[in-house]
Amino acid sequence: MASHYEAPIREPLVTGDKTYHDVTVDVAAPVEGRANKQWWIVFSIALVAFLWGLGCIIYTVSTGIGVWGLNKTVGWAWDITNFVWWVGIGHAGTLISAVLLLFRQKWRMAINRSAEAMTIFSVVQAGLFPIIHMGRPWLAYWVLPIPNQFGSLWVNFNSPLLWDVFAISTYLSVSLVFWWTGLLPDFAMLRDRAVKPFQKKIYSLLSFGWSGRAKDWQRFEEVSLVLAGLATPLVLSVHTIVSFDFATSVIPGWHSTIFPPYFVAGAIFSGFAMVLTLLIIMRKVSNLENYITIVHIENMNKVILLTGGVVSVAYITEFFIGWYSGTNYEDYTYMSIGAATGPYWWAFWALIICNFIVPQTLWVKKLRTNYMWSFIVSIVINIGMWFERFDIIVIDLSKGHLPSSWTMFSPTFIDIGVFIGTIGFFFVLFLLYARTFPVIAQAEVKTILKSSGEKYKKLRDGNHE
Amino acid sequence: MKSLFKIGIVLGVAASVTSCFNSSKPNYQYFPNMYEGVSYETYQESDAFPNDKEAQLPPANTIKRGWLPYDYENTTEGYDLAKVNLHSPLDSVNMEADMAKGKELFTIYCAICHGDKGDGNGTLVEREKFLGVPNYADRDISEGSVYHVIYYGLNSMGSYAVQLNEKERWQVAEYVMSLKTKLSK
Repeated sequence: MASHYEAPIREPLVTGDKTYHDVTVDVAAPVEGRANKQWWIVFSIALVAFLWGLGCIIYTVSTGIGVWGLNKTVGWAWDITNFVWWVGIGHAGTLISAVLLLFRQKWRMAINRSAEAMTIFSVVQAGLFPIIHMGRPWLAYWVLPIPNQFGSLWVNFNSPLLWDVFAISTYLSVSLVFWWTGLLPDFAMLRDRAVKPFQKKIYSLLSFGWSGRAKDWQRFEEVSLVLAGLATPLVLSVHTIVSFDFATSVIPGWHSTIFPPYFVAGAIFSGFAMVLTLLIIMRKVSNLENYITIVHIENMNKVILLTGGVVSVAYITEFFIGWYSGTNYEDYTYMSIGAATGPYWWAFWALIICNFIVPQTLWVKKLRTNYMWSFIVSIVINIGMWFERFDIIVIDLSKGHLPSSWTMFSPTFIDIGVFIGTIGFFFVLFLLYARTFPVIAQAEVKTILKSSGEKYKKLRDGNHE
Repeated sequence: MKSLFKIGIVLGVAASVTSCFNSSKPNYQYFPNMYEGVSYETYQESDAFPNDKEAQLPPANTIKRGWLPYDYENTTEGYDLAKVNLHSPLDSVNMEADMAKGKELFTIYCAICHGDKGDGNGTLVEREKFLGVPNYADRDISEGSVYHVIYYGLNSMGSYAVQLNEKERWQVAEYVMSLKTKLSK
């Protein structure tokens, strides 16, 4: 013990007197056990929502975009709102697994697996919207620069919507690879524990013959670090590109240079909120209270507080610049007096209350170390961040340069149905994941067990005395 | 060997997917969204019309802008009247261009029977598909009568009013008269 020094001020990241074997057993338990009744109930609800959404999507694509509430003025509304919302949620996963890895944050190890799963599943939801909001989605492959018989007609690389294609597809594939390489040792663990031949076969396939030799581990660490280094600029650039959809336009309220960093901060803000929502439930239902501790929750709340602060500063900046610019057109943008008192006042105030006011309560240690309050705040933030995107898109579009084009937007039940469907699909995937994948990176947790485990910390502290 | 087998399967699937079209029929189409016109196209068939043709005849005795009816009747009297009274409206200043155009049109529409020189020895006559095409030198014709014959046709010759518009008919008529002059020398 003497060779190891960890500041006694650091709180344990694994509570309970856990051994390596205990970690394995705890992580493998949900996979090896059978789903209980509650799981089936929740899964069925999610599946029904998903199928309902699928019906709405099929109806939209086969009947036409006119079944949505869009009009000639407001050409983007729930579709792109939900797209940006889901992409934003997807950002926390990569932030946790990549950025926190670069900063050597050990507390990420208990949450990165689920955060990455959340990333993958929410990017899948996000990826639906660019396709289904197309008028002719069956020609979506035209966005790819493929040599063709139209005299090799190519795409115009000047559109941020095309950059979106590259950004989202790259983001999804890199995240998937990053996630999967991390899963290899854990799948190998499940493979080695499996008793049923079918399970053994499946996990043998998934683990790619991982045998855990020293050379394998060395390369594994290098790959993780390189991927983390690549994923970090990706996190920042993907949502930047998404923000370019708006920032590069000439619409008042959209044309703003603050959007790239502000959208990224908002993405991390909402993503962490979603991670909190999921993990506060997961630690209970999967009996992982010893791994996802209040320290993790508090740390995530601190990140939320930071990014929420960045977002709040951006709101104030937008509001200030709207006034300072002296442009009449800025009077009706989503961050203006016009929005606060106009027909979308409720959306404006929902944004202010959910993103600006409620998260500030996390400055109070008692509240940010409270599971219930963290859970409520995380839900509120997700609602607020949905409203942020809705406000940016719909309020800014509804009152543009020409008063004769001013109009309102109201969604149809198909708009809402598609959104509910993606939420259902997300939970279908996440619930399946929670029962078949090792939801905690046990291989990583075992590397910090002796440095940050409660049992070992006590032993060390005992030695010091 | 195993990989060769797999490559073979891939190629086989690719071939079977791409080779299923019949060259005697139009090929398969992928989402033909705006391939078929919603509007009527000139020569298409359509149930909307009595004879299932899109191209309907205009009402009788109507006159469209930029067009005048031809006043001489399709009778021997009309022919004689046209021979005497009908004269080319073409501008003599522009004669060279009209003559060049007339030659071009003559070569397309007339020379197949009448011959490039107007001597009645066109390709069809040489091949003896039919006989009895006269030499312009042997006929008593004027520019008016040539115009009349192009308009209505005469005996075995059909009307060329559909192929040639009014100006083109006069260009051909003038060219025919120039051929007659050359042949008569």
